[in-house]
Amino acid sequence: MFKQLLLLSAGLILSASALAAGNQYTLGVKGVACPYCAFGIEKRLSKVDGVADVTVDIGDSVVRVNMAEGASLTEAKARQAVKEAGFTLSSFSEAIEPKDDHAQ
Amino acid sequence: MRNNCLTTAMLLSTLLSGGTGISHAAPNTFNTALPVPQGEFIWREQAVFRERSSGGPRDRDVSIQALASVLGYGINSRLAVFGAVPYFFNKDLDVTTPMGRLDRDTDGFGDVSAFARYTLYQHDFTGGTFRIAPVAGVTAPTGDDDEHDRVGRLPRMLQTGDGAWDGFGGVVGTYQTLQYEVDTQLLYRANGRHDGFARGDEARFDASLQYRVWPLSLKNVSGTPGFVYALLESNLVHRDRNEVGGGTDPHSGGTQWLLAPGLQTIGRRWIFEGTVQLPVVSKPHGHALEDDATVRVGFRRNF
Repeated sequence: MFKQLLLLSAGLILSASALAAGNQYTLGVKGVACPYCAFGIEKRLSKVDGVADVTVDIGDSVVRVNMAEGASLTEAKARQAVKEAGFTLSSFSEAIEPKDDHAQ
Repeated sequence: MRNNCLTTAMLLSTLLSGGTGISHAAPNTFNTALPVPQGEFIWREQAVFRERSSGGPRDRDVSIQALASVLGYGINSRLAVFGAVPYFFNKDLDVTTPMGRLDRDTDGFGDVSAFARYTLYQHDFTGGTFRIAPVAGVTAPTGDDDEHDRVGRLPRMLQTGDGAWDGFGGVVGTYQTLQYEVDTQLLYRANGRHDGFARGDEARFDASLQYRVWPLSLKNVSGTPGFVYALLESNLVHRDRNEVGGGTDPHSGGTQWLLAPGLQTIGRRWIFEGTVQLPVVSKPHGHALEDDATVRVGFRRNF
């Protein structure tokens, strides 16, 4: 009984942690080919409301955007930010897996 | 004016030898067509050590130590503006005169340049881009053109400014991939006239290859690692003769082809770079001054 309660508590904690994590988006960006350029994209996307973190995987031309809790990113906003940085958005998708690894 | 591919460098070159340049990875001796993000600044500092000389009875040797500062700003994703100012720590002339060998020098701020670059054509693809961007700007006579020393007024080429408004324009092309970048520039500089003197107009064709030598591969590399590029830049420069009074100075201007190998380390916020520019072919008019060697070291900062 104690063991079941322990597992239930742990599950609830981890679920709450997963819910607290913001949405994650994966953007395909064309035109980026150097670190200095990548930073321009990071800067512009970081200025979008609700964006918590931006990571550019330059070798794959992919930008990962983590949102703050409760915030979401629209494709239009992402396209505009990438354009303002001087590049072209080629794909936009919301990551299925939550940001928090414990929730997996 | 790579991305902020600061268009840069061009400025420096324009200021110190007739080019213009700034931004991103970009060449070290002239400009690039890579973007400056909207609402963002790029800053570049470049220390320049330039040696020039001429033959003939005057046997002139000119040594220049300067710092060129460039600030770029993205008006929007296609239009960027740049301002550049050189500070000459020392401009030194050794020349043979009837009185013997004479050493003259000066220092101070030079002429300020402002220019704009507009991306006219942009083709982005995965891991690369191809862009064409016209550039145009002016150089204002902010430097001193009436400096004197114990002998009298310094010669024109030793003044930190030429006293005239100059205009320049051209086009820059950039092809960039994750492995390499090629930049080319055609630029014409029309020099104004002041106090009976006009520096000869200048036309130049520049090309640059930047090849990533580190990391060797981007496979299985996540995030954005720093790059190291090996550079090789080519500068073909033609200068008309200077106009003095109603005529021209036969010992001014000419054509020179220079090569500049170098290295560049590129991070997300910083670029550190250096090149040594050496002449390959020199065809001066008469005993005109020509470049012997120019060393450029500096950095660019992404704000």
